[in-house]
Amino acid sequence: MKTSTTVVLLFLIPIVVFGGIVAFGIKMNTLIVVLAGAVETYLAYRFYAKTLDRDVIQTDAKKATPAKLYMDGVDFMPTSRGVLYGYHFKSIAAAGPIVGVITAATLWGWFPSILWLALGVTFIGWVADYSAIVISIRNDGNSLSAIAYRLIAPRTRTILFIFIFFYLLLIAGAFVGIMTALMAARPDVPLGILVLAIMALIGGQMLYRWKLDLIVVTVVTVLITIVAMSLGPVGQSSAGPGPIQKAVAGFNKAIDGITGGRAVMEVIDPTYADPRVPPPGPNGIRPTTAIFDAATGVIKTMPNYLFWALFIFVFSYLGATLPIWRFAQPVNYIGFWITLIAIGLSSLGAILAPFISPATAAFNMPAIKMPDFGFNLAAGKPWQPLWPMLFVTIACGSISGWHSLVGSTNTSRQLEYETDALPVGGGGMFSENWLALLSLIAVAIAGGAGAGAFAAGIGKLLGVIFGKEFISYGTALGFGTFMVIVLTVTQLVFRVMRVTLTEWVGGAVPVFKNMHVTSIFSMLLTVLLLLSGTWVYLWQLFGASNQLMAALSMLLVTVWLRSVGKNTSFIGIPMLFMFITTMFSILVTAHNLYVSVLTAPAFTGRGIVEVGGWAMILLSALLFIAALFIAWDALKAWQKYGAAPGPSVATAATR
Amino acid sequence: MGKTGLDGLVDSARRFLYGMTGYEFERQLVEMRSDVDMVFISLLYGDMLGVPIIPPYYSLRLLPYAVPNIASWKRRAMREKEFSDYEELDLHGL
Repeated sequence: MKTSTTVVLLFLIPIVVFGGIVAFGIKMNTLIVVLAGAVETYLAYRFYAKTLDRDVIQTDAKKATPAKLYMDGVDFMPTSRGVLYGYHFKSIAAAGPIVGVITAATLWGWFPSILWLALGVTFIGWVADYSAIVISIRNDGNSLSAIAYRLIAPRTRTILFIFIFFYLLLIAGAFVGIMTALMAARPDVPLGILVLAIMALIGGQMLYRWKLDLIVVTVVTVLITIVAMSLGPVGQSSAGPGPIQKAVAGFNKAIDGITGGRAVMEVIDPTYADPRVPPPGPNGIRPTTAIFDAATGVIKTMPNYLFWALFIFVFSYLGATLPIWRFAQPVNYIGFWITLIAIGLSSLGAILAPFISPATAAFNMPAIKMPDFGFNLAAGKPWQPLWPMLFVTIACGSISGWHSLVGSTNTSRQLEYETDALPVGGGGMFSENWLALLSLIAVAIAGGAGAGAFAAGIGKLLGVIFGKEFISYGTALGFGTFMVIVLTVTQLVFRVMRVTLTEWVGGAVPVFKNMHVTSIFSMLLTVLLLLSGTWVYLWQLFGASNQLMAALSMLLVTVWLRSVGKNTSFIGIPMLFMFITTMFSILVTAHNLYVSVLTAPAFTGRGIVEVGGWAMILLSALLFIAALFIAWDALKAWQKYGAAPGPSVATAATR
Repeated sequence: MGKTGLDGLVDSARRFLYGMTGYEFERQLVEMRSDVDMVFISLLYGDMLGVPIIPPYYSLRLLPYAVPNIASWKRRAMREKEFSDYEELDLHGL
């Protein structure tokens, strides 16, 4: 089959299948998603990815990879394809595909979300991940920033540092925001997280100091943590909450007593996606709660919210400053198992649901939430047009810049054969896409919005397997899983932030070489963003920086392919699409911040909210300008290599 | 020769699971050992890389045992590193 025919078919299949379901009013269910996803993945991998790998990149199993050429037993180490696939998948899979999908489905409905998931991974996602690995292999295992330094311009490397730091800052703000709200709102969640921290400390000690068997450590730590997570709703009945929920709620109330039950500050989220905003009731109207005023849209920031934010910062501080084996790694490891168990069983539930419990399998969410897809832009109001905002809201499930960074620094140095790049890099991305599809299934069958819908969806899917009585425990496990996924990322975000900050400004300002200073500085910046109360904008700005990093990675590969005289269209076109889309999304987010935060009516604590809003607008401007600089330098490099391929690069690349 | 059929499938699943679980610890331990090795070999044979240290008495006596590792040690010590290289394990799962 010709590549152009494959492209047209792969483009049309999801549009026809999902569009047909919407157009003919067929009730969407979990099995259709699973089957359609499997078919699209198979066709994309078999007929598109493999063709490009064979005909354009021309990977060759006989060429020596950096792992073989520079084997040192540590960084460069030939590794079996199967092991590396698992390792790469685990390295790239995190909270992104889950949170992004939940947010997008809540804003626009399941139909646009699933289309972008299918088309994004087919034409852009795997290409970005795979090509980042390939460019690194063909350039002696160098990382993207080192290649950019050589191939485009020295300042590109510095700009990438700035990018990475702000990317991390944004993700930290978004994740701490969502976790804090959950911890404050759900009294059944904190116990599991506290036990996770304790188990991580014990797990690190058992494994590295007491040298116990990994299986023993896994069984003990994972089992205790799962039991603690599921214990949250114990004793809960129609009469009221259980003893653990009562204890945590009482604790929250005691903390709120510090201010006499008054809010410390107030914020407004015009998108209503802040986790503290309750979902609409059966009549479609949002109820007023203790912390949300439905009439004015004001969200109260209570003292207990600040306490749980502090709790997460302390947790992250341990992860950022202790040796990685002592805390961060065991947290990740335990979290991985919890996620695997919850997601694995939920996947099984999603497949079985249409046969066992058809009512559970049916989607309870509108296919399209905004009939005009958000393109009806009103002056002075925040905008959420489908293009470009959907494409940055769902980031990692379709395409992610972070994957390129991991692939080029880590995976590329362990590939035994060049031909393994596709199953490892491309296969890893397709697998991550499945995580996003499952999140969509969970949130769509549950109906509601946000993390609550995800957890309820997981509960329902687990209920398909274990019975209806298990739904409340399954939901608690869903919340716990969500928290664990986000928390494991957050601690690492602060860890990488401190390293990046040291690398970036440590030379000029020596105090930033101290890891405690850099960690605390990073956390203070995050607090500023957190208190601005604009969770969705934070997430979308993070998505934009992530997608822009992916676009920059593809830009680098495009320039490299040009320098070695290969066809660039399969990556150049997606790169242009992502670059233009994300640049526009940054402008839309800056506009939204201005009209919804800075021109909002006066309320308590307005000062810090304004500072947070301006900080985010400044961040938007920085990202925009940095991307323009890189694009300008890349354009010059493109012209240069078009005239005459670069000798050093060409030599390395065609080695 | 690779396994085929059901055996191959089970073997692939086993490798995939190991890649997602135990392999991270294996790499961490290798990193920790290599950091100690790096200090040790640098103290003994740093002069090979131009580090101004006077080789101790034991350098020569230990040389036969260190020879297999000298080449990879030199490559690792002299390689120009990005921040993402030496914090590689921190980047996972973001």
